[in-house]
Amino acid sequence: MTTTLLELKSVEKKFAAKSAWFQSKQFVHAVNGVSFELNERETIGIVGESGCGKSTTGRCVLRLIEPTSGEVIFQGKDITKLNKNEINQIRKNIQMVFQDPMASMNPKLTIREILSEPLIAHKIPRSEHEKLLSETVKLVGLSENYLARFPHEMSGGQRQRIGIARAIILKPKIVILDEPVSALDVSVQSQILNLLQDLQEELGLSYLFISHDLGVVEHVAHRVGVMYLGEMVEIANKEELFENPLHPYTKALISAIPKTDPDEVKERITLKGELPSPSNPPTGCKFHPRCIFAQDICKTSKPEIREVEGRKVACHLV
Amino acid sequence: MSNLLVVNGLTTQFESKNGPLTVVDGVDFTLKKGEVLGLVGESGCGKSVTSLSILQLLDKYGKISSGEVLYENTNLVNKTEKEMKKIRGKEISMIFQDPMNSLNPVLTIGKQIGEVIEKHEKVKGAKLKQKVVDLLNLGGIPRADEIFHEYPHRLSGGMKQRVMIAMAIACNPTMLIADEPTTALDVTIQAQILDLLRSLKDELDMSILLITHDLGVVAEMCDRVVVMYAGQVVETTDTRTLLRNPRHPYTEGLIQATPHQSKGKSRLKSIVGQVPTPDQYSPGCRFADRCPKAMDICQSNVPPLFEIDGQTSCRCWLYEMKEEVI
Amino acid sequence: MAKLETYKPIQARVAPKDPIKIKSDTLRKLLKDKRAVVCILFLVIVALIGILAPLLAPFDPEEQFYESILQGPSKEHLLGTDAIGRDVLSRLVYGVRVTLTVSMLAVAITFFLGTFIGLLSAYVGGWLDNVLMRIMDILLALPSIILALAIVAILGPSLTNAMIAVGVASIPGFARLIRGAALSIKSSGFVEASRSIGSSHSWILRRQFLPNVAGVLLVYTTLFIGVAILDTAALSFIGLGAQPPTPEWGTMLSEGKNYMYDAWWLATFPGIAITIVVFSVNFLGDALRDIFDPKSTR
Repeated sequence: MTTTLLELKSVEKKFAAKSAWFQSKQFVHAVNGVSFELNERETIGIVGESGCGKSTTGRCVLRLIEPTSGEVIFQGKDITKLNKNEINQIRKNIQMVFQDPMASMNPKLTIREILSEPLIAHKIPRSEHEKLLSETVKLVGLSENYLARFPHEMSGGQRQRIGIARAIILKPKIVILDEPVSALDVSVQSQILNLLQDLQEELGLSYLFISHDLGVVEHVAHRVGVMYLGEMVEIANKEELFENPLHPYTKALISAIPKTDPDEVKERITLKGELPSPSNPPTGCKFHPRCIFAQDICKTSKPEIREVEGRKVACHLV
Repeated sequence: MSNLLVVNGLTTQFESKNGPLTVVDGVDFTLKKGEVLGLVGESGCGKSVTSLSILQLLDKYGKISSGEVLYENTNLVNKTEKEMKKIRGKEISMIFQDPMNSLNPVLTIGKQIGEVIEKHEKVKGAKLKQKVVDLLNLGGIPRADEIFHEYPHRLSGGMKQRVMIAMAIACNPTMLIADEPTTALDVTIQAQILDLLRSLKDELDMSILLITHDLGVVAEMCDRVVVMYAGQVVETTDTRTLLRNPRHPYTEGLIQATPHQSKGKSRLKSIVGQVPTPDQYSPGCRFADRCPKAMDICQSNVPPLFEIDGQTSCRCWLYEMKEEVI
Repeated sequence: MAKLETYKPIQARVAPKDPIKIKSDTLRKLLKDKRAVVCILFLVIVALIGILAPLLAPFDPEEQFYESILQGPSKEHLLGTDAIGRDVLSRLVYGVRVTLTVSMLAVAITFFLGTFIGLLSAYVGGWLDNVLMRIMDILLALPSIILALAIVAILGPSLTNAMIAVGVASIPGFARLIRGAALSIKSSGFVEASRSIGSSHSWILRRQFLPNVAGVLLVYTTLFIGVAILDTAALSFIGLGAQPPTPEWGTMLSEGKNYMYDAWWLATFPGIAITIVVFSVNFLGDALRDIFDPKSTR
């Protein structure tokens, strides 16, 4: 029995593009009507290329970026309608891990101070701090003597462990992972991925895993959503998505992953052209100029995301 | 196939507060004509410094302390800066990971590529422009006539990398060094650029030294692979053997740690610990303290490269039974 | 299910450094810089002179020696006497008190209000930033001394008002610098991380912004002390600051300028005093900037 923990309903974010005085305001549609749900103890992967709006979507959940419209429902409440104090309460249950652990930590503070911040912010009694700190540091596989260090005295992998420790110290329900291993080397990356999996089992966490690396997402996610130019084009279980992608963009994306198996037969769908500018997206289906299957209808009418064979796809031809 | 580039015992040191640090330590490899050779390793393994050493592009703190780089049988290490300038771009050219930093923001694309050509050839005016446009077309850039007048910031990452490639092949080099050419790009764009490199290699009869951390890219592109760890070559073999039958425990660990290799398995095998920095190198095998198969000898003695089956050389004591090459 | 207990915690390779040692890094670097050390020593001596003025000064600064008016440097009056027979050296020594107190207080005004406006502007952003910065821009269009003049003109000439004027006149420049430094911190990952954790605004300002602008603050405050000394002296020079008979360097300079040809020592010694003090303050500021500017440290 799965329970839905977090639900996004047509979340939308428009950024005002820089425009000269007296010019009509232009908008960049960074996220355009994205809906999905996250179940308990589940990892949902959000993949897409740079500029597809996956990071913006993650930040909209925590309202680090204010969504323009749509609903984000957590524990029966719409996060987008909460006031400043209530949102901080939500942030106790939804935490975030960032791509660059160096940039996401204040270089002037020690690890102890960095890890104490969530405890102070959520008024955990002082007497419990020390126990929580040493417990959490051990949980992410580091020894306690790291607490006295500064971020710059650690390696990238160790720093990311601290980034994870900071996110789990309050025992949240959901962790949003924004490209958590993109800055790391392969051998360290696998350590962190294993750690994340162990923590999920141990603490019953749900992950919103944002990444551009399909290999990583295939490894960690239970379900995967594919985004293109601010829109969700396909959501499916991992196995289905990677073995039988329905949307042409998903197909191209998966076929573009370089395979390390020298004997695997490859059928590469090479996409034509570049990602169009989000401030001036194509009409109809946003993918049609690069799609090898594009028909006339794709140029004029925008396909809505709908259920096909128990999964969701936004394509006229499926 | 004859040898185009032979690197012999290349050792590069950097000055530091606590004395010189050996970042590249006795690296040997050979690039044959018409071949794509992969130089693989994680950050800090010395792969980029190796490539910079080949072209003598080290900054003022770095110095080649021993070894030779034989390009068509002449040693590049002894060349003066003036002589090297004639080789760079004309004989050996290079493309980098970050095309944004490698292009001059205040010059148009056409002007920048034109400058490269003018340095080595005597072409001017309309003929030069035609040549640049041809190059842009060769680099797979649409609307080359318009792009000719554009400034770099107007182009996307993939386009900039195409421009860099067009610039690199401007003088028909015999050898191309590609340092993480697709790391900053999205997968679909990466696929395009790899396709482009592959077709240009055949068209222009180039040899490519491809530096990367991504085994997927290696599998797609390379004929043979050199794996580096902590400044040393640990394994050299052909791509198929490397991926199918990795000999060095590090290579093995690296392949098992790559996520899309382990379909179905719930946990990745990972290498414990982290890459040591040059001041932490142990007196024995540098991988010993992370190695699941480490023996007593590994802690104290540096293993030499052992030859296996005549086509693989591997720096690991596990293969001591086999004959020693160096 | 994998058990977490199986993790062998990664031990720190080297014993962690004592954090207190690292925090005094700045001081250690500063002490390595010879010109900074010289400046600090000199300024400490100047401050001591001010504090110990009653002990050091040979005479009372307001005592008049009618028998020796406008006398050049001599054994009795080392730096000579002025038009009404006061000892220049004594006035100079007591002047340290006035000059340092006034400039410090002026800088304190600049520091608190400038930091407040700069941080607020950067942190809140939006229309508040726009309004505050446009006001600062208008004030910046005037040289700070003219602005100070205007303020004194409104408040009336006195040492206290000059101090306020000098302090307030420096706020626009200071606020803009702090805003710039704060903006780069605002866009950094760790402030976003702090927000994602749910920290309060005051916490973010105190723990994330302040430690990172502290260096910039220290550098600019030091540099602004030099400006404040000069501006106070300038206001006193034109008669809008310290009023006679207060022994203030600017006032002394102003009194001395009437006797430039007959009694060179009257204007020369206060002039030298102002120059050297401002010089060493600025040198110290430069040295601090070298330490805090990551680009200049190797």
